[in-house]
Amino acid sequence: MSRPLSISLRLNLLFLIILALVLVGGGAMLFVVIERHFQEQDRMEIAGKLVLLRRAVANVRTPDDLAMLPKHLDDALVGHHGLHVVVASAQGKLLYAASDRAFPADWFSAAVPSTAIAEAPFLSWERDGMTLRGLVEAVPTSIERAEPLRVGIALDIEHHLMFMQALLRALLGAFVVCLIAAGLLTWFATRRALAPVRDMASVAKGISASRLNQRIAAEAVPSELIDLAQSFNGMLDRLEESFRRLADFSADIAHELRTPISNLMTQAQVALSKSRSSDDYREVLYSGLEEYDRLARMINDMLFLAKADNKQLVPRYEDVELSAEVDALFEFYEPLAEDKNIRLMREGHARIEGDPLMLRRAIANLLSNAVRHSTMGGIVLLEIRVHARNAVQISVANVGESIPDEMRSRIFDRFYRVDPSRHREGEGAGLGLAIVRSIAEAHGGQVEALSQSDGARFVLTLPIGRVPG
Amino acid sequence: MKLLVVEDEPKTGAYLKQGLTEAGFITDLASDGVDGIHLALAEDYDLLVLDIMLPGIDGWQVLQAIRRSGKDLPVLILTARDDVDDRVKGLDAGADDYLVKPFAFSELLARIRTLLRRGKTRESEWVSVADLELDLLRRRVTRGGRRIDLTAKEFALLELLLRRQGEVLPRSLIASQVWDMNFDSDTNVIEVAIRRLRAKVDDGFDVKLIRTVRGMGYVIERTEAE
Repeated sequence: MSRPLSISLRLNLLFLIILALVLVGGGAMLFVVIERHFQEQDRMEIAGKLVLLRRAVANVRTPDDLAMLPKHLDDALVGHHGLHVVVASAQGKLLYAASDRAFPADWFSAAVPSTAIAEAPFLSWERDGMTLRGLVEAVPTSIERAEPLRVGIALDIEHHLMFMQALLRALLGAFVVCLIAAGLLTWFATRRALAPVRDMASVAKGISASRLNQRIAAEAVPSELIDLAQSFNGMLDRLEESFRRLADFSADIAHELRTPISNLMTQAQVALSKSRSSDDYREVLYSGLEEYDRLARMINDMLFLAKADNKQLVPRYEDVELSAEVDALFEFYEPLAEDKNIRLMREGHARIEGDPLMLRRAIANLLSNAVRHSTMGGIVLLEIRVHARNAVQISVANVGESIPDEMRSRIFDRFYRVDPSRHREGEGAGLGLAIVRSIAEAHGGQVEALSQSDGARFVLTLPIGRVPG
Repeated sequence: MKLLVVEDEPKTGAYLKQGLTEAGFITDLASDGVDGIHLALAEDYDLLVLDIMLPGIDGWQVLQAIRRSGKDLPVLILTARDDVDDRVKGLDAGADDYLVKPFAFSELLARIRTLLRRGKTRESEWVSVADLELDLLRRRVTRGGRRIDLTAKEFALLELLLRRQGEVLPRSLIASQVWDMNFDSDTNVIEVAIRRLRAKVDDGFDVKLIRTVRGMGYVIERTEAE
């Protein structure tokens, strides 16, 4: 697909086309009106002369009078220049011609009676570079039973035509000047109208990873652009938030790695500072091994989360019976739960489309979390229920301390721990719930933490069917 | 048993060679793909440990060259990238197993032994160590002639330890083999499960059979203190 025309160019072209149509239409109308006016003028002038001619013809009473007609006509037409008159008998015999410009050959056959002359169409023709326009009337004589004479009368309209041509030239000139002026003006106007868009672009240009706090003032843009400005600002908000998280995450990683690595270094340096028994050395190595193991698992978890962030965490969908997965996990956690005298209980079942390994991992993390935070002798209740027809909710509740409200949204953040002082002794690095959230999102679902008076409840909501994309 | 390790990172290569040699394998080390192919084709190895990220000829090409020459020795791939694509590609290309770095050495050892054992020994109906005996058909456990009651999972755990007695089994391997948990799960759980099993199997006996190897895993064996 090629790039669409620029908005200013489009507006310009559109406006110029409209303007050209209006100007051409206006000019044409002006032409028609003036032409019609000229015709009216000509018709009136010809009609005036016809009155004279009719009178002269009506005076013909005998054939002798007919012979005298040219003389009478000459008298009647004295002083009328630019007027061409011919008279002929009904058979076409030319009786009089006060004109050096001949009428068309069969002019006499176009004659109409005087009653119809007001509506008769003009005859028009050219002779010797002149343009003529005339009417032919059948004018009765006073000779009894004689056929009326054909009287043709024409005007030279060359001056009309010259006027029309001059008018046309003037109109064309005005047309061109108008179009150029209008083009310049619309170009200028669209530039001005699009100025807010350029302003937005310049704001966008000023944005970089370190300067994400710039925003477009939504109240300063025209109403058509408010939507765009707001979406743009929304996008910046989200970007800024992601960048902040990323920066936090990097800082967290550095912090999380610093403690174990400094432990390992100190331990090795102290161990080497003097000669020791091999049991002592073995102890140092074992202790180091445990630390390495924790680090390796943390790195694996972080890689998993990084993959989720890059949208590379694509579930491999299969038909999963959640109750079977949960029962297998219960079997796994049973020894640990029994150790703390905790009862694991499941209610409900459902089949969904999902990645069995990921779902198992997510539920395992929720269960592990619940068992860890449950009070001795408590109950961990896992409920599976169909929610709103197309989703399944897996709720994991444990008896114990409740989650403070201000922590409920942050609890899924990486490295977040409800109790920072329990840093090292707790099992994970604070990535377990973040992984649950990544898995939920990869499946098009979500997870939330709910606070209860007597414990905590996590609800994992997953769509029953596959979510495209 | 003779192994070939193809690994370009000198420190990793040296440690792998040392560890595997000490575990009782005759181990050769090749530090690039060309040497790797040459050695693998010239000598008769029982297993190849192959790093994928090699300079020049990478692990895929090494694997291809070896398979093309008709050698069907088991190949265990080491990769730094935990990509499903890599995994599928590796198994398609004729690798038998893969491990993602960083891995526990005990895990590598356990996988190598699994591959070497594959298809060789028929699983017997009886396994035993010292006076502990497992009747796999009847699902019965006795120690010194005394019957021990185990849950199904405890039985499976003991069976795994016994079948691979003398081998240190990492927690992740135990979680995967006994509970089918194929991801980094709570290792506390394995600890508790072993402790409970130990209470049933070892408590009240002078000779303790199940031993914890710190930072590595668990092993069942006849101890020297006997």
